[in-house]
Amino acid sequence: MKEKTIYEHLREKGLSRRDFMKLCGTIAGMMGLEFVPPVKALGKTLGPSPEEVVAQALKTKPKVPIIWLEFQDCAGCSEAISRSSSPLLSNLVLNDIAIEYHETLMAAAGFQAEKAKEECMKKYFGKYVLVVEGSPTLADDGIYCTVAGKSNLDLLKEAAAGAAAVIATGNCACFGGIPAAHPNPTRAVGVADLIKDKPVVNIPGCPAIPEVTTGTILHFLILGQLPETDQLKRPLPFYGHTVHDHCLRRPFYEAGKFAESFDDEGARKGYCLYKLGCKGPTTYNACAGLKWERGLSYPVQSGHPCLGCSEPHFWDGGGFYQGQSAPIVRLDKSSTATLVGVGVAAGAALAGLNAVKKSRAKKDLKKDQSQAAGSDPGSKKEG
Amino acid sequence: MNWTNILNFSRGPLLHVAMIIFVAGLSYRLVRVLLLGWARDRAKNKGSKLWGVIVNYLKGLFVLPFIPWVRRTFRHNELTFIAGGLFHLSLFLVLVFGTAHILVWKSLWGFGWKGLPTPILAFFSAVGIISMIVLLINRLTHPVLKMLTKFPVWINWLVVFLPMITGFIMARHLWFRYEVIFSLHLISVSLLLIWVPFGRISHFLFYFFSKTIHGAQAGKRAVTP
Repeated sequence: MKEKTIYEHLREKGLSRRDFMKLCGTIAGMMGLEFVPPVKALGKTLGPSPEEVVAQALKTKPKVPIIWLEFQDCAGCSEAISRSSSPLLSNLVLNDIAIEYHETLMAAAGFQAEKAKEECMKKYFGKYVLVVEGSPTLADDGIYCTVAGKSNLDLLKEAAAGAAAVIATGNCACFGGIPAAHPNPTRAVGVADLIKDKPVVNIPGCPAIPEVTTGTILHFLILGQLPETDQLKRPLPFYGHTVHDHCLRRPFYEAGKFAESFDDEGARKGYCLYKLGCKGPTTYNACAGLKWERGLSYPVQSGHPCLGCSEPHFWDGGGFYQGQSAPIVRLDKSSTATLVGVGVAAGAALAGLNAVKKSRAKKDLKKDQSQAAGSDPGSKKEG
Repeated sequence: MNWTNILNFSRGPLLHVAMIIFVAGLSYRLVRVLLLGWARDRAKNKGSKLWGVIVNYLKGLFVLPFIPWVRRTFRHNELTFIAGGLFHLSLFLVLVFGTAHILVWKSLWGFGWKGLPTPILAFFSAVGIISMIVLLINRLTHPVLKMLTKFPVWINWLVVFLPMITGFIMARHLWFRYEVIFSLHLISVSLLLIWVPFGRISHFLFYFFSKTIHGAQAGKRAVTP
C-alpha cells in the first residue's frame, strides 16, 4: 500500500486548503527559505515561491518517522517542544510527521515501548531521523546512563546506524551541557563527537527553541537534507546571528546606557544588561527573532541577561552575572599575596647575591691595593 | 578547535597565567630597583618633603601637560609631546572608564564605577590609535630616533598597539565575529601583561615611585653634603 502523503493526512484530519497554504507560508517563513540556497536541492531554481516549495513537498512526501532518544538530560527540550508557541508546527511534528519513539511523550512503557522502537528502526531503516536530547556519557563504558538495561553508548550507536540524519537538540546533546560542566564526572560529550558517519546537526539551547527544532526537522522533510551549518554544526538560518545583533536593547548598548542592578532606574527603563553579565555578544541563537511563548518574550526582553546557553561550555564560562569581559579565573587575595611574595623573594635573593659579590669584589680590590702598596718600595718611602 | 573554545582559553587559563607573570614580575622588578641601594641622607631637612611630593605630582599631571610650551622638551619636539600626551590620556580614559574594562576591575576588586558614554570613549580610543600610528611614523622617519631605537622598543609599541586596535574593532563591532576579535584582544592583552614587567612599559607603575622620590628631593631644604 502506498504511504499517505502529509497533505492527504492533514486533509483527512479536516485541515482546509486555505489553512494548509497558511501553514506552508508559516513554515517557509520560519525556515527562512527565501535566503537558503538548498532550495536548489529540489532540482528547481527559485522559480516557485517558498510556500509552493513547501506545499509541493508536503503534498508529495510521506511522513518522516522520528526516533527521539534521551540521555543525560532534564527533558526540558521535550517540554519546550510540547508547549511550543506555534501549535500548528508542534502538532505537525508530534502527530503528523510522527514521532515513533519518545520515552517521555509516548503512552507505551517498558518492553512494549522498546519493541515499538525496534520495529520502527527495522521498518524505516535508513529513512528515519534520530533526535537526541541529553548528553551521551563515556565514563566506564556509559553505565551512568542506561535505558532498558543498555548503556547509552550502545543505544546511540544502534539507533544512529539506521538513521538518515541525526539532530542533537539542547546544549547537553550538542556540547555536553550541564552534565559536562567541570569536573564532568561522567565524561559527558556531544553527539557529534561520537557519530562521525552520519550527517549531524546541532540545535543547542537550554532548552533548544522548539521552533528551531521543528524547523530543522521540517527542513529535512521538505528539502531532503539538513540545513547549512556553521563551524559548530548549528543551522545557519537560526544561528547565523548573535542574540546581541538583534537585541531590542541594542540601542542602549550603543549609547552606553546600562542597567547597574536588577532593580535600578536603568533596569526599569529597559537599558542594556551587558553590565549584569549578558553573554549576548558571543551567543548565536534565534531568541531575539523567534522568541518564546508565541513570540511573547525572551530572557533579555524580560529583564534577564543572556546566559549564552547555545554555546559550548556555557556552564564553565565564568559567572552568569559577572561581566563577559571579566577574566574567568580570577586572582584572589591569597594567590596575589603569594605571587608578590615570590617576586619579592626572587628580587631580594638576587639583590643579596649581588651584594655578596660586590663586597667580595671590594675586599679583593682592597687586598690588591694593599699588596700593591706593600710591594712598591716607592710608596713606602713616601708613607 | 573553534573560536568559542579559543575564547574560553584566552579568557581563562591564558589570562590567568599572564596575570601571574605580571604580578610576580612587577614585584620582582620593584624589589630589584629598591635594593640597588640608597644614598645616606646626612643633612638635616628644613623644608617639607611631603609638600615637595604634592607639588611635583600637581605640576607633572595637572599643570605642565596643559601648558607644555613652557618646557624646553616641548619646544624641541612638539609632535612627540602632543601625540604622546594624547596617547596617555586616551589610554587612561579607555582603561578606567570603558564599560567592559570597569567590569574587569569590578571582578578583580569587587567594586565598579560609572563609565563614560560610548561615543566619547570611541572618540578617545580613535585618538589613542592615531597617536600611536603618528608616533610610529615619527620613529621610523626621524634620523636620530631611528638610530636610538633598538628591537625592544618595537616590541613595546606592538604589544601596546595590538590590544588598542583589537579593542577598538571589538567595541565598534567591525569586520570580525565578536568571539574572534574578543579572543584576539585577550591574547594581545595577555602578551602585554607578560611583557610589561620586563620592558620599559613598567614605567606605568615605576613612574609614580620616581615622581615621589624626585618630589621629596625637590621639597628638601638642606645643605647638600
